[in-house]
Order: sequence, then C-alpha cells, then structure tokens
Amino acid sequence: MNIFLVLVKKEIKELLTRQLLISIAAMLLVFYVIGKVVGTQHKASEARNSDVVVLDLDGSALSKSLIGRLSGAGYRVKKTSIPCIDTALAAPEFKDDGLFMLIPAGLQKGLDAGRKGGIGFYSKFTNFSASATTVTASKIRRTITRVNDELSVYVLRKRSPSLDAGFAREPLAALEFVMVGGKLEQVSLGQALASIQSQIFFFPVAMFFIVILAAQMVMTSVASEKENKTLETLLSSPLDRWMLVVSKLSASALIAGALSGAYMLGMRSFMSGITAQAAAGAALPAQAALAKLGLIIAPSGYLLIGLSVLFCILCALSIAFILGVLSDSVKSIQVTIMPLMMLLMLSYILPLFIDINAAPLSVRLLLYAIPFTHAFTAPQNVMLHNNAQVLWGILYQAGVFAVFVTLAGKLFSGELLLTLKSPFKKA
Amino acid sequence: MPTPALSAEKLEKKYGNFTAVSGLDLRIEEGEIFSLVGPNGSGKSTTLKMAATILFPTSGKIEVFGSDTVGEPEKVRKTISYLPEEAGAYKTLTGLEYLDFMASVFLRDRAKAAEAVKYGSELSGLKDKLKEKIGTYSKGMTRKLLLSRAVMIRPRLAILDEPTSGLDIINGYEVRKTIKQLAKDGITFLISSHNMLEIEFLSDRIAIIYKGRILACDTPADLKKRFSTDNLEEVFIKLAQ
Ligand SMILES: Nc1ncnc2c1ncn2[C@@H]1O[C@H](COP(=O)(O)OP(=O)(O)OP(=O)(O)O)[C@@H](O)[C@H]1O
Ligand SMILES: [Mg+2]
Repeated sequence: MNIFLVLVKKEIKELLTRQLLISIAAMLLVFYVIGKVVGTQHKASEARNSDVVVLDLDGSALSKSLIGRLSGAGYRVKKTSIPCIDTALAAPEFKDDGLFMLIPAGLQKGLDAGRKGGIGFYSKFTNFSASATTVTASKIRRTITRVNDELSVYVLRKRSPSLDAGFAREPLAALEFVMVGGKLEQVSLGQALASIQSQIFFFPVAMFFIVILAAQMVMTSVASEKENKTLETLLSSPLDRWMLVVSKLSASALIAGALSGAYMLGMRSFMSGITAQAAAGAALPAQAALAKLGLIIAPSGYLLIGLSVLFCILCALSIAFILGVLSDSVKSIQVTIMPLMMLLMLSYILPLFIDINAAPLSVRLLLYAIPFTHAFTAPQNVMLHNNAQVLWGILYQAGVFAVFVTLAGKLFSGELLLTLKSPFKKA
Repeated sequence: MPTPALSAEKLEKKYGNFTAVSGLDLRIEEGEIFSLVGPNGSGKSTTLKMAATILFPTSGKIEVFGSDTVGEPEKVRKTISYLPEEAGAYKTLTGLEYLDFMASVFLRDRAKAAEAVKYGSELSGLKDKLKEKIGTYSKGMTRKLLLSRAVMIRPRLAILDEPTSGLDIINGYEVRKTIKQLAKDGITFLISSHNMLEIEFLSDRIAIIYKGRILACDTPADLKKRFSTDNLEEVFIKLAQ
C-alpha cells in the first residue's frame, strides 16, 4: 500500500475513537431532537393558534352569525355558557386556552342604533417563550381584524342592502412582489422569508460544530504524538515530513467531510418534511417563483457553498495544526484552541447581527480577513446571486490555507517542534 | 581507517542560553555497543537526539556512517532507528498493527516489511497480546514492543535511550541478550543508561558524560583498571566528584 494511504489510515484509526463517535452521535441527536421538537411545537401551536373561547352574552342573530363566520374561517370556537369572564378565565377546562372573547349584551342593538360595539379580547399567558408571545400578539391582531370585518359587513348590509358589501370592504387585491439580487417575482414576502429561514437557519450552528470538532481532532492528533514521543520516532524515520503534515490534515478533513455530508443528508430530510408540510398549503407557483428568485438553493449553489465550507474546514485545520504543535499535552488543547475558537465566534456571530456590506470599512476588513466568514455568509450570498463574492472568498480561503500549511510544514521540518516552549504555559 | 558508524566533533547544543552538551568528541566503530552513562540532566538524551537527526547541533558536527546529520539527514535516517526515552505508542492500534505501521514507515519494500513484522512479533514475546490494543498494555509490555520495533528493521545504527527502563529482571536480561546477538550480526548500538550492571554486561565501550562533557571513554575493564576498582559505580562516583 502507498505510504501516504498507510499514514492516513493510521490517523483515521486513531481519530475515530469511541468518544468521537459518541460525541458525533450526540450532536446529530441534538439536531434531530431540535428539528422534531420545533416541528411538532409548530404544529401544536398552530392548532392552538385557532382556538378561541367565546362568551356570548348578547345571544342575538348577529352574535350567532359572527360565531358561525369565525368557525367557517378556520377558528375552533369554544362556546361557553359561563356568564362571567373572570370565572371563564380561571375555569379548569380552559386552562390551556390563551384567547377569550366576550360579546357583551346589546351588541346588535347598539350597532343598529349606530353606536360602536365593544367586544372584549382577553389573552392569557401560559409561558413567555419567544414564539408564544409573538404568536399570541399576531393572533389577537388577526382575530380583531376578522371580527371587525364581519361586523362592518353586517353594518354595510343593514345600511345599504344594494351594495356589494364584500367588495366595498376590500376593494384592494394586493399583488405582492419580491425582488432578490436583481430578479423580480410575484410572491409574498412572508413566503420568501420562510423559505430563506428554513434553508439557512441551522447552517451556521452546524458548521461551527463541525469546524471545532475537526480542529480538535487535528490538535489532539499532533499533541498526543508530541506527548507520547511517537512524533520523535516518526521524525527520525525516512518519511518525508511533509507527508506527516498532509496525512494528518487529510485524515481530519476526511472525517469532517463525512460529518458535513451526514449533516447535509439529515438536514435535507428534516427540511423536506417541513417544506412538504408548508407546500401542502402553499401554491406550486409560489415554489416556482421562489426557485426563480434563487431562494431555493439549486445544486450548483450547494456545490459553491460546499466548496466554501470545505476550504473553511481546511483553513481551520491548518491553523489548528500549528496550535497543536504549540500545545505540550493533549490536556492543554482546551486552552490552545481558544484563538481559533474566538476567530470562529467572531465570524459566526457578528454577521447574524449586522449587515456586513453596510458595516464600517474596518469592521468589514476584519470580518473578511477571517477566512471563516466567507463560509458563514456563503448561503446568503448564493441566495442573493453574489456567486462571484463566494468564489473570491473561496480563493482567499485557499490562499490562507496555503500559507498556514506551509508554516506547519516549516515547523515540522525544523527542531522547533521539540524545543519550542508553549507560549500558553507559564515559565 | 574504516568509516565509523558515528563520529562527533566538538559537538555543542544550547537550549537558549543553557548549554546542554559542549565540546563532545566521539567515535563509534561499526558493530560496537557503545554506552553513554551519566547523571540525570547530563546531556545523554540531547546527544542521542542529535544523532537521530531530530535536534540540530548549535556548533560542531555529528556524522553517521560518513553522512552529516544536518547536511544529509535523509541519508542518515535510512540507516538509523531511534528509540526515545519514555516513549509511548498509538493506544488505539493493536501491537501488531503498530509493528505493521512502523515497518511500512521504515521499509518501502513490502516483503522486507512483512519479514520485519514477523521478526518484531517474535522479539516482543507478546504473543496473543499483540492482537490487543496497546492501551491495554503494561508499561513493560509497551517498552518491549517499542524495543522490538526499533530493532526489527535491522538498522545499521540503533540509538536506544534507556532501553531497559521499566523492564523486570528477566525481560531486561533477555533484551540485553538480544542486543548482544544483534551486535554480533553487525548492528551498531548507541545506548544511554543508568544501570551500571547492564552497562558493564553490554558495552564494548563506555563514555561517562557529566554536565555535557565527556569525562572518560574506554572499555569497562580499562576504566576499572584506570580507577583501580572492580566496580563501575565507583568509577562513576569518583569522576562525578
Ligand atoms: N527542550 C529543552 N529545552 C530546554 N532545556 C532542555 C530541553 N531538553 C533538555 N534540556 C536540558 O538539557 C539538559 C540535558 O538534558 P538531557 O535530556 O539530555 O539529559 P539526560 O542526560 O538525558 O538526563 P536523564 O538521565 O534524566 O534522561 C538538562 O539540564 C535539561 O534540563
Ligand atoms: Mg535522558
């Protein structure tokens, strides 16, 4: 067997320890659980989203028809005969309900006489999770609009029976268009945002984990060879020292690549579950429009993103390799990995909060100087049709990789490797 | 005069400002078993590492079979085998996998590598244990595995740093016998050790090193004669005072 393959095989055997497999499995499990929980939560809150408890104290033809209209519009109306709102709010049978509607007595009479009616909307908080609060707020707004609509139709019919009440109430047919990266399509902003979110939400988190894991692997591999002095044996052997560097990097890159592949597959099936669910409601033309806008990433886009991620991993590996040389024991890599971790955090977190292209030049330069930023922003750039920027990013990453690999090779061909005192250790 | 297996001239090594080895002159003939003896921190390992091409001399030079360790390290590395002190092995590999791996690192010829593995497995005396992960080995077992690894490729010069440290009496004895046998077959040994008994039994010649300098270099018998004692330990103590 070719000596390079022998080296890579040995590295992989060393790296694929039970601990690594367990932590990978744990990571995948966490993603799976998050996906599942978010999905089912989504469905559950969607269901609860349509629940409304109604206390009808008016009991008029209007209030009855209003309740009927709400049911027809997809609300799950729970009528109750409890005459007092306080009692209803505290009633055990409604303990999971968040929205109560109180139709006061005399509503119809008041409207007929030209007075504004007052319907009470009561929301009850059961928890303060971000999704619960926003859902509740939008639900109230939606329900009030709905009820108002129904009442205005009633009033219009009453005042001028000849008028087309439906038309008079909503003479506007809104046509929503969205423009992305110079392309214009008819699709709602909501749908566009949902599509973007669904595809890039987990990407940075997963990439962060994979890069850290890969970096740790190569650092452990170098530091443990140093600690066990197996490195001294290899260095005194006829092996080309470059081969040592390249084989270690290749083994870690292979494992990281396999991990990314597994993640992509897992994510695809998870996402396709969600989008299938969404697509059941959404019209097919919307999907087509989203694809035309580039908001559904095409295979060529995935290829570009994949390349960017690959070079991001390679950059991280080459830097980690040098940090591994600087660690004198496997234990100390928890500390030695910090510089890499910090760079990664910067390029991961900052773009989440600021628009890089609108940031001051200094910030932009800093972020783009970190090779990882290019991979973290690749999906956005692909969606915005900034393929050239992604390509330049890949080129830059390749350059950084080349520099650090050369440095690592230089370190490996000198004696510094054995005599260097770690700058992370006191005295 | 034939080319010596190893020759050092005015060899000096500094770590920063600290001089670990200074003005060392050595000449080891092919087939010799040569031992470096000295107290802790006297520069034995440093000298061995320079012979093994992994440390560079600050000044002076060291040659292995006529090739300079700095100028032609590739040539030197093809003729030597180095066993570091307190070395470990890859814990997730089995003993056999380790020997296999090291054989292909040192020997490109596949038939030779296979032969070396066979010889190394025998030498190690680990038998069925060779099929288990090195992580489960005792200290002595690992040492025996590493020693077998170092000599199985039959290098021209074997550089062994404290080869029998951590071995029990029987295993230590067997290792010494093996080294003697291999020397008869023509392998040259450069060894460091603290064990005077072992040194006396093994060595053709001994160099006593102290604070990076060689104080005396001769056969065990001549050293004892020179210091009029029948105990090498006493020679050592007299020199160190
Ligand atoms: N990497 C290093 N950096 C600085 N000083 C070092 C380094 N390695 C060794 N030394 C110093 O060089 C001196 C010689 O060390 P060396 O390891 O050669 O001793 P030794 O004779 O092998 O000792 P021992 O019998 O304990 O193994 C020691 O004083 C040691 O502290
Ligand atoms: Mg030593």
